[in-house]
Amino acid sequence: MLIELFGPGCAKCETLLKHTKHAVEQLGGDHQVVKVSDYMAMAARGILSTPALAVDGQLKFQGKVPSSDEILALLKA
Amino acid sequence: MDVSKNSQLEGAVSSGSSCCGGDSCASKPSTKPSLLRRGGWLLIALPLWFGLYRILEPLANGITTHLFRLNPTSRLGSAVAFFLYDSPKVLMLLSLVVLGVTFMQTFITAEHTRDVLARRAGVWGNLVAAIFGIFTPFCSCSAIPLFIGFVRVGVPLGVTFSYLISAPMVNEVALFMLLGMFGWKIAAIYAGTGVAIAFVSGWVLGKLRMEKHLEPWVMEIPFQAQAAQETRMAFSDRLKAGVQGVRDIVGKVWPYLLVGIGVGAFIHGYVPQDLMARFMGKGAWWSVPLAVLVGVPLYSNAAGVIPIVQALIGKGAALGTTLAFMMAVIGLSLPETIILRKVLRPRLIAVFVGIVATGIMFVGYLFNLIL
Repeated sequence: MLIELFGPGCAKCETLLKHTKHAVEQLGGDHQVVKVSDYMAMAARGILSTPALAVDGQLKFQGKVPSSDEILALLKA
Repeated sequence: MDVSKNSQLEGAVSSGSSCCGGDSCASKPSTKPSLLRRGGWLLIALPLWFGLYRILEPLANGITTHLFRLNPTSRLGSAVAFFLYDSPKVLMLLSLVVLGVTFMQTFITAEHTRDVLARRAGVWGNLVAAIFGIFTPFCSCSAIPLFIGFVRVGVPLGVTFSYLISAPMVNEVALFMLLGMFGWKIAAIYAGTGVAIAFVSGWVLGKLRMEKHLEPWVMEIPFQAQAAQETRMAFSDRLKAGVQGVRDIVGKVWPYLLVGIGVGAFIHGYVPQDLMARFMGKGAWWSVPLAVLVGVPLYSNAAGVIPIVQALIGKGAALGTTLAFMMAVIGLSLPETIILRKVLRPRLIAVFVGIVATGIMFVGYLFNLIL
C-alpha cells in the first residue's frame, strides 16, 4: 500500500506520522509511507485541513489525528 | 512548478515481526463498553468540576495568607494570590471549554463549510462565512490548502477572506473563556465585533476585485475537490474526540498559560493603578493604534492572552483598547501572514492586514466611546 501523509510539519502532523508508522508496523508487510509537505500538492488533491491521510491515492480523513489503532483498522479495511 | 515534488522522508516502512507481542492481544474490543465508559463519567466529573471551581478563590487566599504568611493586600501577596487563583481556574476552564468545543466541532468540517459557502452569493456569503469562522477549528498551517480549496470550487475571494479573518480572530476557546471569566456581555461584544470585522473586511476585499493579486499558480494547478466526509459518529466517539482535544491542547499550552498568568499576576500586584489608566485608559487616544501595533507581531495562543487581558482591565485599562490588543494578538499574526504570502501577492497581503487592523482599531475606539 502507498500511504500518503499530508501536512506542513506542525506538531499534529508529527503525531500522525508516529501513529501511522506504529499502525504500519502492527499491520506488517511491505508498505510505503510518504510525507507530503508541499502546499501545492496538498491543494491539488483538494485537501482543506491538515493533517490528512490517503491510502493508495484515496483520501481517508483530514483535519484530525486518529489513534494508531484507528489507523490500523482503516488500513485493514 | 513541480507539483509532484513530495518530500520522501520515510521511504519504505516494512515490518516482518508478528503484530501481537503480548498483553495487547488480551483485550477483546468486541464487548459493548459500559455506560461509564460511554460518557457516564461526565455525570460524576462535571459536578466535581463545579464544586472545585467554586472553592478555588478562598483556597488560593488561604494558602497565600496562612501557608506563605503574606499579606493579601501587599504587592507580593496580591500577585501570589492572583497566580494561585488564576492558574487552576484558567486550566480548569480551558479544559472544560476545549472538551465542549472539540465535541461540537465533530459536527462541522471544513468541507461542509466550503459547500455551504459555495452556494451563497453576495453579502450573505460574507456574513455566513464570518459566522462559520467562529466555530470551525482553524490551524494556521491549514490556511493555504483551505484558501485554495475554497477559491477553486467557486467561493468568492471576499467570502473566503471573511472566513479566513473570522476563523482565527473569533477564537472559540477565547470566546468561552471570556464568557467564564467576564460574563456574557464581554463575550458577546468580542464575538459580535469579530464577526463584524470579518464580514466588512471580506466584503470590502471582495469589492476591490483583487483576484489578479493572487499568485498565478493558485488558479493554475490541476485541482480535484474532495467530497465532504461523513460526520455521523456515536456520542461516545465525539466525547472521546473531546477528551483527546483536551489532552492535545491543554497538554501543549499549559506552560504558555502559566507564563501568561505570571505576567498577569505581575501586572496585578506591581503595576500601579493610574499607570495603566494613563497609558491604556479612555483618555489616551493613541493607545488604541499602539495596542494594535504591539499586538500584531506578538503571537500567542488565545488562551494565554486572557489572563493578561484580565489583569489589564483590572488595572484600569479601557475595555476597547484591551479588546483591540487581544484581537490584534490572536487575529493578525505574523506567522500566518508569512504563510499566506505563498498564495497572495504583497499588495493583497498589505490590503488584507491594513483592512483588518483598521477594523480592530475601529472596534477599540467604538467601545472606548460607548462603554
